[in-house]
Amino acid sequence: MRRRVARHAVAGVASVAVGIALWQAIGVRSIPTVSLPALVREAMPASGVSHDITAVLLNFRSYDTLLEIAVLLAAAVVALALRDTPRERMPASQPYLILDTFVWRITPLLVLVAAYLLWAGSTRPGGAFQAGSVLAGAAVLLRLSGLAVLSVDDRLASRVVVVFGLSVFLLVAAGTLLAGQPLLAYPPAWAGALILMIEAALTLSIAVVLFSLFDNAPQSRPAAAPAQRGEA
Amino acid sequence: MTAVSAGQLLPWLLVAPLAWAVIAVLIESRRGALTIAVHAIGVLLHVALGVALYTSVARSGPAAHALGGWSAPLGIGLRADGLAVTLVLLTAVVSAACAVYVMTTERAAHDADAETPRYFWPLFWLLVTSLNGIWLAGDLFNLYVGLELLGLSAVGLVALGGSETALSSALRYLMAALLGSLAYLLGVALIYAAYGTLALPELAELIAREPLTQLAIALMTIGLCLKTALFPLHGWLPPAHGVALTPVSALLSALVVKGSFYILFRLWFDVAPEAVTPLAAQGLGVLGAGAVLWGGWQALREPKLKMLVAHSTVAQLGYLFLFFPLAVGTGVSAAALATQGMLLHLVAHAFAKSAMFLASGTLIAAAGRGGVADLAGIGRHMPMSLFAFGLAGVSLMGLPPSGGFNAKWLLLQSALASGQWFWLCVLLSGGLLTAGYVFRVFRESFVESKDSQFTPTPRGYDWVALTLAAMAIALGLASQAPLSTMTSGLRVMAGGT
Repeated sequence: MRRRVARHAVAGVASVAVGIALWQAIGVRSIPTVSLPALVREAMPASGVSHDITAVLLNFRSYDTLLEIAVLLAAAVVALALRDTPRERMPASQPYLILDTFVWRITPLLVLVAAYLLWAGSTRPGGAFQAGSVLAGAAVLLRLSGLAVLSVDDRLASRVVVVFGLSVFLLVAAGTLLAGQPLLAYPPAWAGALILMIEAALTLSIAVVLFSLFDNAPQSRPAAAPAQRGEA
Repeated sequence: MTAVSAGQLLPWLLVAPLAWAVIAVLIESRRGALTIAVHAIGVLLHVALGVALYTSVARSGPAAHALGGWSAPLGIGLRADGLAVTLVLLTAVVSAACAVYVMTTERAAHDADAETPRYFWPLFWLLVTSLNGIWLAGDLFNLYVGLELLGLSAVGLVALGGSETALSSALRYLMAALLGSLAYLLGVALIYAAYGTLALPELAELIAREPLTQLAIALMTIGLCLKTALFPLHGWLPPAHGVALTPVSALLSALVVKGSFYILFRLWFDVAPEAVTPLAAQGLGVLGAGAVLWGGWQALREPKLKMLVAHSTVAQLGYLFLFFPLAVGTGVSAAALATQGMLLHLVAHAFAKSAMFLASGTLIAAAGRGGVADLAGIGRHMPMSLFAFGLAGVSLMGLPPSGGFNAKWLLLQSALASGQWFWLCVLLSGGLLTAGYVFRVFRESFVESKDSQFTPTPRGYDWVALTLAAMAIALGLASQAPLSTMTSGLRVMAGGT
């Protein structure tokens, strides 16, 4: 108890100190001489898309995105490695007329929204991450309502879908290198199509990875939970 | 094949391990000869790429690669100077040794129909990718992404142990790593707000001594020190490194903690030498001294063998931080000596500590229990493992001839050259403490005991540990070539601060 109070005090003092320092420092900041937004605007015509965020994420700084997809893969792999085996299946819920009707109606809509977000990414806000999250949300809804028994586990099919997006991304990357170009330097005429292809593949894998993190999370053990909280 | 330049080679050091991570996920359900063959090919390819890049840069100077064909600051650049390629090669060699250790385990398990931890290989390759990404990065934000990938794959590898202690240590590690990354990211955001670019070469020309920059550097420094487990922010390290599977402990102590330290070094001495102060450097030195003494003391009284080695990592990381007060605000010759000493220590410790963890794991596998006292009588049964442990210990203690000795000798000379004799006391007492805990293990091992039973372990284990330990020793006999490659072109060598 005593230690806990001390810890909270340390955390509080540190937060306040950092807050004050930031407040003070931001007041005296100089205006940068380099303007990346201007550089982005200049290079947009060669990017293959017309939305600047998509251009930064999938073209100008596509290498960052490639590594971020690897981060997602790491998360999915750790969840797969730690999932309880054999798992207890979540018991099928009682049929609820309103819930079931709602989920059945909204799932196709969610898929449609995801497809739109993916497609819209090249011209306006949208893209693989947003579309993937919506798809993952739809899968969580189906799972919670007990209407579909989706799961991401050790089966080869699951693993293939988990790495699908990264594989496509990597194949494009290796292709550019083998063609004697810098890593992920798309030929200008192909840039738009390649970006859409990568984003489509990423959407699927992002959705599956996000859903797998939900699906493979340890089932809560009511008895153990309060004890852990007390200890922390 | 002669036409391939270092610049063209660079991206393959990221693409190849990432591709093997994907392959590893796909063949995860297979066990035995197939997996071993596939990963052996990956390891060989990685070592070959590392050697090719190192020789090319050592011969014809630094290389760069503009990713996506966009030059910085719009795009991201990769760059390989002597230091970066040395660390790439170090990563290739140490990770290859750990991989061979795992393959030996898998083969023995396959023959005995036993289980080995699942999903080791995907995380191993992701870890290697992130390390190469960090060594070769030329962009502050890209370094953040590299740190996240490094942290998450390292945490995952710790959690693979599966036991309750492994999970709680991994979770603690995750929290520390996240807090460190966030502090770093906050600093990156402030730098971007002030200078409008994240490319390291550009920032190096722009950065000035002003409050916002110094706050940003301070935040990044704190975050990176937390990730490097600098005393007193080291609490997460011993449980995580102590409880992990043996080859994972070796990877974590030899390479992973060096990733965040490398970024700190680049930040202070390549990017923002104008913004750092001698006072802050003295502060880091004091914390480093605290680590050397506290880590050594903890190792001296630790009852478990692997935890002892993990505490030793805390102490040895402290030496890296003694470099700061010796290189900031001192003369050119003191700074140059300190840089050489610190870099040599970094490499020698990577070899010696991975050897020591692997040898300890083998001893524990033979004894069946993890206590130092359980080693009684093992000297007779496991002379090779004990020999590897001892050779690694020679380098850690700083006895000649070894990489560790040369490193400490250079640091010592730098302390004298800059008139800071008090760091000498830290160096000497650190060496004594190290000798204390290494000999403690030996004393227990040579106790004659009739009733202890030892399980035989695969031969491969000893060869791997011995090779790594021999490299730590060999580094003492041939320090000059790697040192001149590592330090070529560094600003601090020319008295940048």
